[in-house]
Amino acid sequence: MTTATATAVRRTPRRRPRAGGGQRRAPYLFLAPFLVLFAVFTMAPIVLAVYSSFFQTRRSGLGFGGEGEVVFAGLDNYVRALSNDGFVAGFGRMLGYGVVQVPVMLGLALVLALLFDTALVRWKPFFQLSVFMPYAVPSVVAALIWGFLYQPRVSPIVEGLRSVGWDVSFLSPDVVLWSLANVAVWSVTGVNMVILFSALQSVPREIYEAARIDGASELRTALSIKIPMIMPSLTLTFLFSIIGTMQLFNEPMTMRAVTSNISGDYTPNMAIFQATTLGGDVNLGSAMAVVLGLVIFVLSLVVQGVSRRRNGADR
Amino acid sequence: MARSSRLLAATSVVVGAALALTACSSSSDDSGGDTGAAGPVTLEFWGWATGLEDAVALWNEENPDIQVDFFRMTGDDGDKIPAAIDNGTAPDVVQMSVHSIPSHVIANRLTDLTEYVGDLEDDFTEASWANVTFDGSTYAVPQDFGPNALMYRSDIFEQHGLTVPTTWDEYLETARALKAADPNLYIAQMSPNETGYWIADVWQNEGSWFGIDGDAWTVDVNDEASKEVAERWQTLLDEDLVKVVDMWTPEYWAEINAGTIATINYAAWFPAMLEANAADLAGSWSVAPSPVSEAGSTAAGAGDSSVDVIPTGTEDVAQAAQFLTWLNTSDESLDILVGENSMFPAALSGLQSDALHQPNEYFGGQVVNDVFAEAAENVPASWVDGPVYDLVQDNIKDQFAKVGNGAQTFEQALDAAAEYARTQLEQQGLNVK
Repeated sequence: MTTATATAVRRTPRRRPRAGGGQRRAPYLFLAPFLVLFAVFTMAPIVLAVYSSFFQTRRSGLGFGGEGEVVFAGLDNYVRALSNDGFVAGFGRMLGYGVVQVPVMLGLALVLALLFDTALVRWKPFFQLSVFMPYAVPSVVAALIWGFLYQPRVSPIVEGLRSVGWDVSFLSPDVVLWSLANVAVWSVTGVNMVILFSALQSVPREIYEAARIDGASELRTALSIKIPMIMPSLTLTFLFSIIGTMQLFNEPMTMRAVTSNISGDYTPNMAIFQATTLGGDVNLGSAMAVVLGLVIFVLSLVVQGVSRRRNGADR
Repeated sequence: MARSSRLLAATSVVVGAALALTACSSSSDDSGGDTGAAGPVTLEFWGWATGLEDAVALWNEENPDIQVDFFRMTGDDGDKIPAAIDNGTAPDVVQMSVHSIPSHVIANRLTDLTEYVGDLEDDFTEASWANVTFDGSTYAVPQDFGPNALMYRSDIFEQHGLTVPTTWDEYLETARALKAADPNLYIAQMSPNETGYWIADVWQNEGSWFGIDGDAWTVDVNDEASKEVAERWQTLLDEDLVKVVDMWTPEYWAEINAGTIATINYAAWFPAMLEANAADLAGSWSVAPSPVSEAGSTAAGAGDSSVDVIPTGTEDVAQAAQFLTWLNTSDESLDILVGENSMFPAALSGLQSDALHQPNEYFGGQVVNDVFAEAAENVPASWVDGPVYDLVQDNIKDQFAKVGNGAQTFEQALDAAAEYARTQLEQQGLNVK
């Protein structure tokens, strides 16, 4: 009896460390596939880009008959990137675009989400699906569709407006940026609406009830309760929208096929594509990509910092 | 680093090829065949011209020792080529745009073919051969060519009692007459996004974007030859005689189909596109030689054309060159490519072939290739591509967009593009004069 208890007692502490070790290792085992993929497909390219941004291929004469010499160039590629008018102007365009497109799109998404959250709208699933549907259309296809709708002679919209005496030109140099913004608004309002809507759904209903008992109107409830309650989701969608803006590539690249008013370096990403694919200068492209990455990083930090301070003040 | 990885890639290609060779030669030993250094080889060939499959099949039938494995390129496959060559996984033979040659040569991606195909010079038109030869070395074999001629709406010309212009001065007069007859009519369109028009006009004027002077590149984007063309286009634009519309867009084809554009001075491969996109206009078009600067001249312009190259790292260069020579100069091959698949050939023998000179139903039974073939032989050998061609072309498109909007003149656009080209060449570390 006593021996049996003794062995049982002795056996347990011996087994425990083994079981504990397995438990401690398990998370890493489950994480391993992610970590490997993360290292290979996220970290390695970044490291490679940073590395390659410090080198240059030097050639001489006509450049024929030699392989060219790869030399360390210090910050030269960064100087070239930042003195590249097109690349820098691309940031300007994207900032202007973002300042207009992001608030308009998020405002629209927020209003729609609030409408769907109240009892105002009937056939909710139908409308929700309709608003969300454009997101399912690939951005290239969206740009093709809108590119068609913007073109004189073939677009029912342009021709329709023309027949009532309004001669619009959606693809003229001053307007084309906003025509692009319209494509983005059409594409991503729905998905942002869904995110904001689900945040609204998770707000406890008792709060609304309390507000109603206090005599708050629907508008008052929306402004003073709903929007502050979903602030974290709003910050998140705002952040994603800014990142999306800075990375704009598919839509302008596709629309370029229908209008020459979108230059080859219209957005920072297009300038990178131009430098690497057309110019064959991977080193310069890497430097540009690092610059773009840093700008997005800094913008993200600013947005997060501001929103955190605001949330803190509210509390 | 780039060099060592390239070396590694090259080594692995050599090892792979050696293994393949051993495998092949052992099998040929079994059959008691010859055992020369040039055993049976299999070449991989990437291309896009229609009919290449048929030509390759014929070659494979006749050449058991040099088998060709054809892969049809589509869409953006061309973008894969530089990476494929740099990593040693490129095919043995590739079709590419002629304008890409210099940028690939300076990146050491193309085999110097001078000793293999150098004596083919007399088989090709002067201009197409000049395009594959740089600084005395030949890097490609010309495949097709795109000489210009004037496609015009004979019905519109007839309706307004106009004659077909033979000089650019007459062209301008005709443009004015058309405009006077019907304000909705334009003699042509100006397409900022299509440099082919521009290149052809400059080329006809014996101009070029680049040149080679000793061991330095010259930038000729805004030289006299180009400025003359710029002046002509500026007049057409200022007087609203050309319609500003980007090419290849639905809007462009809508304009063509609506009959607002009366002439298209464009390449030999365009009639097929016209037929495909404006079928209703069958019988309304005719073809005449392009107008020229001075009466009596026969100079013609040309735009894009394609060539076949042999990437570096290919083992069987001699066999690949042998195949390319056959593909692009032999009657057997040209009959297939030209006759059944309406490629416009760069080879002189192809220009003479009966297959090329057939009546074209879309053009009311006119033998339009009579005009294009004559133009092909009259394209000056002046055009030289440069290592930053793609960038410069992109820049010119952006500059011309501003011209189309009235924000600057053609001349300003050319000066800006020339400045851009010079900077790009210098940044590549190349000599520029």
